[in-house]
Amino acid sequence: MSVGLRSAAAAALLAAGWFAAAAPLAAHHSAAAAYDETKHVEAQGTVARVLVRNPHSWVFLESTDDKGQKIEWQIEMGGAPSMAWAKDGLPIGAVVKVAGHPSRAPGTHGITGATFAKADGTPIGPRAGRGETPQP
Amino acid sequence: MSDTIGRFRLTRSAAAVAGAALIAAALGHARPALHAQPVGRPAATPDLEGTWDGTRRAHPINGPTIPWARSVPEGTMLPDGTLAGKNYVSNFPELNERALAFQKIFDEPLSPKYDCQPSTPPALEFDPFFMEVVQWPDRVLLRYEKDDQLRTVWLDGRQPSAHDYGIQGFSTGRYEGNALLVETSMYVFDVTGFDDYNGIPSSQQKKIKERYWRDGEQLKATVTVEDPMFLRRPASYTMRWLAAPKGYKLKPFDCDPEAARLSVQFIPPRYK
Repeated sequence: MSVGLRSAAAAALLAAGWFAAAAPLAAHHSAAAAYDETKHVEAQGTVARVLVRNPHSWVFLESTDDKGQKIEWQIEMGGAPSMAWAKDGLPIGAVVKVAGHPSRAPGTHGITGATFAKADGTPIGPRAGRGETPQP
Repeated sequence: MSDTIGRFRLTRSAAAVAGAALIAAALGHARPALHAQPVGRPAATPDLEGTWDGTRRAHPINGPTIPWARSVPEGTMLPDGTLAGKNYVSNFPELNERALAFQKIFDEPLSPKYDCQPSTPPALEFDPFFMEVVQWPDRVLLRYEKDDQLRTVWLDGRQPSAHDYGIQGFSTGRYEGNALLVETSMYVFDVTGFDDYNGIPSSQQKKIKERYWRDGEQLKATVTVEDPMFLRRPASYTMRWLAAPKGYKLKPFDCDPEAARLSVQFIPPRYK
């Protein structure tokens, strides 16, 4: 299990076509206050918990940082109606890759506008490769 | 013999009916008369009833420039489903000094949505969810999937009292031609009561005027907001809903406080 928190250019290169397919998110909700939509981050981790809720759903990935310290990625998704796929697509214990926009506050590990893929790069979810725009 | 029995039965039946009538009369004096709830849209009023789709299928998703925009590129879909022309006129509200000062000091974690406080007009209508309109003779019910909100628009002439302040205010309405006109006042102060993008609050002086009408298979509304505490003049947008898929039932929103507040930790703090 590894974690990558890279510059936008490095992330785009590493994620190749999977990541390149992600559509830019329109400024949405007040996401810009919490996430930097000009930057991209990619990570890999084990699905620990999936909260399918309104107003926003959340996916929690157990991972480690560059120093080997245990961290948790908290990935903000759309509301409950858009998450029917997650039950099968993100089973607890599965190792997945995620890419999206990183949270702004230093020391936090949040992601929005996320796309998921299996460890082998196979896209997951009905909007795989196009980002998941949170509903207000 | 049989004739006697018949008369006896008839007499007993008559007595029973009379007794029942007396009891009913007595009960009528003892407690208020019960009236059946009027149901159904009165004749000669526009038919706005149904479940309406206000998701991204119907109009662009709300954001800092939607539905309030200073400029819109030509050809962009507007909130009412039409395309912007060359001469788009800004509908962004003209803020007074007080509003500009509020915007300057606004701190995103203050937004009550992070604790599941419901959205209110003029934002609630445009949130990308389904809504339902029910027309009764004395009221119109506007039921929103977003935040599980229900607004009652009174058509019977009643007016709000000083006790009627509330999160969704107090709404009265009337039909005019093919449209339903709604006026809402008695809102409580809301730090993000204009929308949840621009840091513009709304005051207890906020008034919302809405005009709903059918345009073919679409429901349209012009929403106008007045708030002399913060706006120099009223601002408005026009939007549309599409007919919901047949049989669609509004889903519970059930806002979850944990899920609503989680992202606040990602906002760099402005104040200590």
